[in-house]
Amino acid sequence: MFKKLIDKSASKSPWLYHINSGSCNGCDIELVACLTPRYDAERFGFKLAGSPRHADIVVISGPVTSQSRDRLVRTIAQVPEPKCVVTIGSCPQSGNVFKGSYSVEAPVENFVHVDVAVAGCTPKPEAIMEGLYTAALILKKKREAMHK
Amino acid sequence: MQILLFLVKVLIFPGALFTACVGLFLAGIDRKVIAHMQKRIGPPIRQPMYDFFKLMGKETIVPARANKLVFLGAPIAGFISLAIVMLFIPIFGFTAFSGTADLIVILYFLTIGGVALIVGGSSSGSPYAGIGISREMVTMMSYELPFVLVLLSVARKVGGSTLAFSMNQIADYQAANGSLLFSWSMIPAAIALLLIIPAEVGMQPFDVAEAETEICEGPLIEYSGAALGMFKLNTAMKMCIMTGLFTSLFLGGIRTGTVVCDAIIFVAVCAVVTLVCITTIHAVTARLKIEHLFKFYWTVVSGLALASLILVWMGL
Repeated sequence: MFKKLIDKSASKSPWLYHINSGSCNGCDIELVACLTPRYDAERFGFKLAGSPRHADIVVISGPVTSQSRDRLVRTIAQVPEPKCVVTIGSCPQSGNVFKGSYSVEAPVENFVHVDVAVAGCTPKPEAIMEGLYTAALILKKKREAMHK
Repeated sequence: MQILLFLVKVLIFPGALFTACVGLFLAGIDRKVIAHMQKRIGPPIRQPMYDFFKLMGKETIVPARANKLVFLGAPIAGFISLAIVMLFIPIFGFTAFSGTADLIVILYFLTIGGVALIVGGSSSGSPYAGIGISREMVTMMSYELPFVLVLLSVARKVGGSTLAFSMNQIADYQAANGSLLFSWSMIPAAIALLLIIPAEVGMQPFDVAEAETEICEGPLIEYSGAALGMFKLNTAMKMCIMTGLFTSLFLGGIRTGTVVCDAIIFVAVCAVVTLVCITTIHAVTARLKIEHLFKFYWTVVSGLALASLILVWMGL
């Protein structure tokens, strides 16, 4: 009965869970900038959730250090379906300037499925917003695929 | 026929559906106005509704260490008790259900809403939930005392030495003698109830139990999907019930004659009360510590309620 409404809601209220996997803090600050009054991601329904169980979109920043790899995989496994994974910055995609380090395991695609990747060092808040919005639309498609 | 009418009352008009819709609407207004106070655009007013339906469509994970029955039963128990509370709150002229001790019943059923959170949180087995429920218990203890004092002073004011615990009697008294808010001996009690509402609903300065940035929403940390949605709905319903209780205790007495007009004015007044006691306080304050919350309620708020009680007992 409410199938259509639930599908529509899936893209209207994406809650974010942010994982820092060894980031330099630059991308984390830019993510927080998206929530400030200047960009106000809440107008699309985005909200930072404290627990992975509440999240729809998992935001990963950082080049995935050896220490954080298992924790990253475990945390993402705790997020209920439908879920999306967004990476912020060049680090999770390629390792960026940390590439070749003995303790860096980028790219993150080797361990988890990535839906949207926002490149840049650091990406601008506008780019992050676009990436998150794209992920919200993907969430709706995933939700529709769930009851097919 | 009687049973059918009763079911309609429980499920639709002042029961579950009405309370849920009004609650989600009030929560939406709260978020929108706060956004404007912070110079943001803010989410649309129907955002809490989207949140609720999204959570309904998500996978519900039950942690391995949790007791499944209690874990999933707690939000439903809370929902049912809150839907029943609304039956006892008169919507100006219209009362769904009225006995002789409505205020006491309301007090107990509201407590069940809080206890559901505690039971659900404790069954999840997370240490964050453990901290959350201990704080929730202290919060409940701190606001129950002034809450009882407020209800007592209203009962004494309306019923004289016999103490009127019937909501119908309180509504009739206000229709005859004007709203209780405008009799000066009741003003401290009204302020006390306004300060109790944010703690009951779990809003900003008094949301120590569900501190999002600190203990990740405490009792709710392991909840996901539909069960989390029910808890979010319960919070919204509490918003409707508490502001509705304030409206009928202190701002009653309006009689338009038709139920629809009454309900519309009721929702409007509830929205104003929400803006005064939830949104404004939320926007200008930071979270308290649990010991400060306890001290605040047992000194300032209880003091206000007690002042009103003494004034009323002296016959003013």
